[in-house]
Amino acid sequence: MTPAPTSPTSPGTAAPAAAPATEPSMSAMPLVSRPVVGIASPEQSATSFIDAIKAGKPVTSAVHPSLLKADHIVKVDDFQLWYSQNKALHGVTMGFPRSKVTAMIGPSGCGKSTLLRSINRLNDLIDGVRVAGKMTLSGDDVYAPKMDVINLRKRLGMVFQKSNPFPMSIFENVVYGLRIDGEKRKSVLADACESALRAAALWEEVKDRLKGSALGLSGGQQQRLCIARAIAAEPEVLLMDEPCSALDPIATLKIEEFIRSIAGRITVVIVTHNMQQAARVSDNTAFFYLGRLVEYGPTADIFQNPMLPETESYVTGRFG
Amino acid sequence: MSGLSMETATAATLAGSPRPARHRPPASGISRFVDSGLRWACRGAAATILLMLILPVSVLLIQAWPAVHRFGAGFLVSSEWRANELEIPVRDAAGKIIQKDGENVTTIEPPSFGALPVLYGTAVSAMLALIFAVPFSFAAALFIVRVAPKIKIAGPLSFLIEFLAAIPSLAYGLWGLFVLAPFLATTVEPALISTLGKVPFLSWMFFQDVEIAGATVRRQLPAAGRDMLCGGLVLGIMILPIITAVSRDVLKNVPRAQIEGSLAMGATWWQSCVEMLRYGRAGLFGAVMLGLARAAGETMAVTMVIGNNNQIVLSPLAPAQTMASLLANEFAEATDGLHGSALLYVALILLVMSLLFNIVARYLVVGKNSRTSGAH
Repeated sequence: MTPAPTSPTSPGTAAPAAAPATEPSMSAMPLVSRPVVGIASPEQSATSFIDAIKAGKPVTSAVHPSLLKADHIVKVDDFQLWYSQNKALHGVTMGFPRSKVTAMIGPSGCGKSTLLRSINRLNDLIDGVRVAGKMTLSGDDVYAPKMDVINLRKRLGMVFQKSNPFPMSIFENVVYGLRIDGEKRKSVLADACESALRAAALWEEVKDRLKGSALGLSGGQQQRLCIARAIAAEPEVLLMDEPCSALDPIATLKIEEFIRSIAGRITVVIVTHNMQQAARVSDNTAFFYLGRLVEYGPTADIFQNPMLPETESYVTGRFG
Repeated sequence: MSGLSMETATAATLAGSPRPARHRPPASGISRFVDSGLRWACRGAAATILLMLILPVSVLLIQAWPAVHRFGAGFLVSSEWRANELEIPVRDAAGKIIQKDGENVTTIEPPSFGALPVLYGTAVSAMLALIFAVPFSFAAALFIVRVAPKIKIAGPLSFLIEFLAAIPSLAYGLWGLFVLAPFLATTVEPALISTLGKVPFLSWMFFQDVEIAGATVRRQLPAAGRDMLCGGLVLGIMILPIITAVSRDVLKNVPRAQIEGSLAMGATWWQSCVEMLRYGRAGLFGAVMLGLARAAGETMAVTMVIGNNNQIVLSPLAPAQTMASLLANEFAEATDGLHGSALLYVALILLVMSLLFNIVARYLVVGKNSRTSGAH
């Protein structure tokens, strides 16, 4: 199931018929050239933009200027994805700034999880998935035919909606990534285990039972264990797919504290249904709707002063 | 917005004056009568099934009782299986046979029965079967779950594997007798003997100590073809479908998140398969137990290819006998009451064993799966 080879973004084929931005930063940032700073016109009501999307009309993502100039570790350029006949992503163009926390919000089915799972190519597992457009991780083309998917995934950590510890000891769970890399030195494994568990704020709770089964932990602990497992392998980007949706508020708080604690050190991309969570943990927020990036900007701006009225109506809970 | 329009629709349906409930006639007397009749019929059918389990077991118990009483637990460790009386000449202190009226004075040794050789034969042939079948079955199950759906052959493949289980065991037996056994005897076993035969610590596989006229002679086993190796291979083929089908279901039930979890960590295809096997290990063990139960109880095909030698020989290249093949071979000729009773004692052991294997397997496969799916 190889994704359809992408014609490297031949301009004008499936791209939104948006007027290309002619900014000076364009040559430096070729991947983030397509989204144009959409200016919300006063007469544009919340429904008209959404209706345009529903009608399948090309729309222009509103991207905050500061995000066009940022240092992006993951760049997405006119990325499109189909599940068999259904188009799930319609030409998304955005970048994820290095060492920042980026939240992706939007109603169910908006494509935010799909985009997240496209970064580590987990969507490859699903039958009939095709992609077009371009995506790069630190400059490497994620969907290039010569890209080794296993090595790609080794560079990315992922935390899932539901905790998925392996049925083995806590210790073996954390060092799983190192084990499959063939690491055998006990001291290296022990150090990696401790520092990852400390970072995930789980060390104090489990240090006396590292040999115990991971399945004996509570739901919140299991999720933090999965976080420890993901960061023990020192990924370039940590992908989080609604990591708190199955957790109680206290467990959620601990995960949010973890995200804040590693912000600035690891790039985090988090998909969340919880807008308060996005507001609390992220530096930047991207709002998706029906497979399109609607608005993308610093979190404070998105929640307090969005460019588009539809973003405002979504973040204030008036639709979605 | 969609939410809004739905609210309006709901409101519209609920609007208006309350509607009176429709008066519905009570159920007729006939339908109530039929209802209770069917209810009792279901109870009867369920009770019959229970009875069908209890009756044969109790008949078996009653018939086996003389042998159980006579040999007790010693039956399990005795390796003598002699249906005839034995006349032993009585010797005097000097070791000379005592004669009286020109005839030897003899004592009569009554028939004696012990199940150790058939227990051994059953255990070894079933183990051999598992050794052949389990790696194959797990690999096939992984293929069906992970590879076949992508190339759209999961359905036909599953059907074929289940079809294998429907082939009568006689067909496997005939194939084993006329194809596999000669092939083993002429090709495989001579090759084994010529290659591994010289390895000192493997000599037990190729030699047998035989007592001839009071002296122990070390004798090379003939490449017979009809031996435990052949029986194990045929059994392995026969239990392949059940182990594959059950492990396929177990592996299908491994949550997607587990597989994705290991893949997201950068696991290779095989490493993520290992995680699947690890996650489903209880159910897979249950699948193996089901296979074991079937291998231990399988009769016809094994009887045809195992050589039917009621003796313990360590080598898998020696003919042997299983509990089921002993029963198949001797039941028709068991005229003596104790002989028949001893055979039924064997059958009882087989029944209890299969029951235990099946209970363990069910607990592991069904119990585990329902528990995990319940937790989700």
